[in-house]
This record gives sequence, C-alpha cells and structure tokens, in this order.
Amino acid sequence: MNIRFVDIWKAFGDKAVLRGMSLEIEAGQVMFIIGTSGVGKSVTIKLLIGLLGLDRGEIHWGDIRLDSLGEKEMTPLRKRIGMVFQNATLFDSLTLAENVALPLRKHKGMRMREALVEAGRRLDQVGMGSYAQRYPAELSVGMRKRAAIARTLSLDPEVVLFDEPTTGLDPVSARRIDRLIRQLSDESGVTSIVVSHDLASIFSIADRIAFIYKGRVHLCGSPAEFKSSPDPVVQQFITGRSTGEMETPGF
Amino acid sequence: MSEDSRSIKQRVERVGAAVLDLFLAGGQLARTFAATWHGVFRRPNGTPAGTKRGQRPQGEVANQMYVVGNKSLLFIAVTLGFIGMVMVFQSCLQLERITGDLSQVGPEFLKLLIQDFGPTITALMIATRVGAGIAAEIGSMVVTEQVDALRMSGVTPIDYLIAPRFIACVVMGGVLTVFGVAIAYLAGGLTAWSSFDLNPRLFFDPSRVRFFDLALGLIKTACYSMAVPVISGFCGLRARGSSEGVGAATTAAVIGSSLAVIVLNFIISGVGLMLVGREP
Repeated sequence: MNIRFVDIWKAFGDKAVLRGMSLEIEAGQVMFIIGTSGVGKSVTIKLLIGLLGLDRGEIHWGDIRLDSLGEKEMTPLRKRIGMVFQNATLFDSLTLAENVALPLRKHKGMRMREALVEAGRRLDQVGMGSYAQRYPAELSVGMRKRAAIARTLSLDPEVVLFDEPTTGLDPVSARRIDRLIRQLSDESGVTSIVVSHDLASIFSIADRIAFIYKGRVHLCGSPAEFKSSPDPVVQQFITGRSTGEMETPGF
Repeated sequence: MSEDSRSIKQRVERVGAAVLDLFLAGGQLARTFAATWHGVFRRPNGTPAGTKRGQRPQGEVANQMYVVGNKSLLFIAVTLGFIGMVMVFQSCLQLERITGDLSQVGPEFLKLLIQDFGPTITALMIATRVGAGIAAEIGSMVVTEQVDALRMSGVTPIDYLIAPRFIACVVMGGVLTVFGVAIAYLAGGLTAWSSFDLNPRLFFDPSRVRFFDLALGLIKTACYSMAVPVISGFCGLRARGSSEGVGAATTAAVIGSSLAVIVLNFIISGVGLMLVGREP
C-alpha cells in the first residue's frame, strides 16, 4: 500500500516546520527523507504514525486515512507500521529480551514465556542473542540500536520508519544496518522510510530520496537523479559546503 | 492601526491564549484522571478473564509502594515530628499565659491532627518528594522518546506509568498519614511533658475525636493521594524539549500538586462543616 502525504502543515508554537509538504512513497520501496537539522524530517515520520498531530493536510496509507484516526484506532496500526527511534529508546528497567517481548505481549497478546522465546529469536537475527539478559545501560549505542531494530521487527511490520538509524555508529555497524534495511525491502517487501544524514547509506541503499527544504519537498527522485541535479541547494547539501544558497535554521 | 493599539491587541491576545491554554490543560487533566481510573481496572487484550493488572508492568505497584512509602518515612517523620513539637509548644506557651489550663491541648491537638494537619502536611510532603520524582521520571521518558516507544509497543502510557504510581500513592498515602499523625502526636506529647510538665495521661486523651473528624481526615487523605500522582504524571507527560523541559515539568508538578492539596483542603473542610455544622 502506498503512503501519501498531501499538503502537510505542522508548527510548534509560532515556528512553522512543515509548510504544505506533499510526498508519495510506493509500497516496498526504501525512501530516504533528508534535509538539514530542524527541517521536519523526524516530524514527518511521527505524523505518519500519529505520535504527533497534524495542523493541516492529509496522510493516506492505501485506503486508510491516518490523520483522522484517534489514539485508539491508531494502536492496532502500530503493529503494522513500526518505528526505530533515533536514540534506540529501550526501557532501562527491562532486559533486552523483555524490551523486545513487550510489543509482542501487548500487540499480539503473547504470554510472557512465549514472548521471551520469540524475543530471543529476534535478537539472534540482529546478532544480539547472547546479550538478551543484559540491560540497555550495559551496552554500546550500536548494540542498543540493533536491539531496538529487533524490537520493531518482532511484529513483522509492513512499513518501518527509521529515525537516523546509523547516527553514532561506526562505519561497519552502519553498513550492517543499511544491509538489513535493504534486505527487509528485497526479501520481505517491507516499505522503509529512513530519516538520515548519512550520504553513504543514502546513495548505497535508497530507491528514492526526498529532500525537504523550507517545509516542503524540494526534490524527490532516485539517487542518480539526486546526484545529477543542477539545483544549487541540493548540490550544496551533497557536497556539504558551508557557503551557498542554502538557508540553515539556527545559522 | 497605531503602535499603541497594536501593542494592546497583542497583550489581549496573549492573555486570551493563556486563559484558553489553562482551560485546555484543565480538560486534559480531567481526561488523564479518568484514564488513570480506567487504567487501574482495565484488563489488557489477550490476558485471561479476571486479570486486573491492566497494562502495568509486573511488580511495578510494589516497587512504587516502596518508593512512595518506605523511602518517605524518614522525611515524613522529621517534618511531622518537628511541626507537632512546635505547635504544641506554642499552644502551651500561649495557654499558660492566658488561662494556665493545659488539659485540653492534647485532645484538641489530636482532633486537629486527624481532621486537618496530618493529612494535609503529609500530602504536601508527598507532593514535594514523590510528585517531583514522578514528574521528573515521566518527563525524562517523554523527552527521550521512551513514551513514544511505549505507544508504538501498544502500551497506553497512562496505564503503564501513572496507574501503578496512583495505586501506590493511594495505599501509601494512607499509611504515611497514620504514621505522620502518630509521630506528630508523640512528639507533641513529649514536648508538653518535658517543657511544661504536662501529665501524659492528660495529653494522650482521644475523647475529643468524633467519627466526623476521622471521616474528614480519611476523605482528605484519599483525595490528596489521588490528586498528587495524577497531577504530577500529567505534568511529566506534558514535558517538552530537553532537560529544561523536564525541570519545568517538575516545578509545575510540585506547584500544581501542592496547590491542589490546599484547594481540596479548603473545599472538603468547607463541605464537611456545612454538612455537620460546628461543634458545640
């Protein structure tokens, strides 16, 4: 099922972040949402899953209009649309296995023992099986992120939202995460929406890239189209030049 | 439009926005209160019939009871103990100068403690220690996206975070109030005996305490114990931004909870007096 953002507006106080943003994401694609810090990339994916409310506009997932759903109606959909948060956000008081078991118990109604067995299997898939009984505070950022991915994938979602999945990771771990995202799309047909600044990831695994600038999608295309775009703002973002036409919030 | 009239318009708009915000927050707080009660009794999907634990994590109520109750014992003992000593000392001092008869100090002090001071001072202390803790903990979870992660895991944050603290506060609020009243009464009796040579048998006389006093104290304790965790949890859930937002949420929780205790005290005392009337 395709995802469509139609004329999205979102402000925090008097600061308008998204100003009429529209975007379409095809099912099974790996779509990267990129842009400078504070431009509304994470806000966009949180709007999709109802963690933030819209000011104006529409969000559709197939025939379902997501923006009109309340928290109660949204909860079962969160089984089908998973999210990996920027800071992993594992619960400190639970072991890795218990963290992964939590959505299995709540969304799938599994009993604790059954959920823990499944959690162990899911942790094995991301190479974290031997750390199942550890607490998040005992692990590195990269390990926590892998466990958070296992937690999200434990529900076999149709869409996964990744909020800066490779930030803070060493290059090897980052490429492993990239490979996992690509595999999800190629082997299971999962739609992945990835918010990232990591150009190496973007150009190696993206099917399409949406570049958000001034509250709208400035350019949406394949990595090749993106690289060859003559747009000075896009080129400045790719090359990382500090001088140019691009306006950066806070500078 | 002149500069002056524009400035007035902006001020009026700001006041209007603040008032609207206040009403909205009041509505949200009422919904949080209702949702907390719902969370206390809710049976989660997939659990066997008869399960009453809702979406609360296993053992969390006991853990929170330890945090709210056991860890507040010393704080409550010191506060109520000293307040009891000072109140009795001052009462004896004044009465000795005016009438010289100290026989009613103990019975009246106990009546006042049970009906008013015990529940109120204990609740204010709980608001300070426990309310701040609840708001800071939940606020930190909000700003680090852990609450969003809970929602994504199919868990209602109010059920998971506020409901266990609510149950713990209701149970331990009562226990702490009884403990606080006992400490204040004992400390007051010791002060009267050591400083004014008042016979302990005269001081420790419960004859002035009526059923109405006990009922009023109980109602106040229950209301305060329900208000503090809900207001504090609500403030925590409204935290925004980073550590600054958590700090603001914590401050708001302490102010809001303390204010609620004082306003509830006024309302419950007023209604109680209207229903029962003054003592002859």
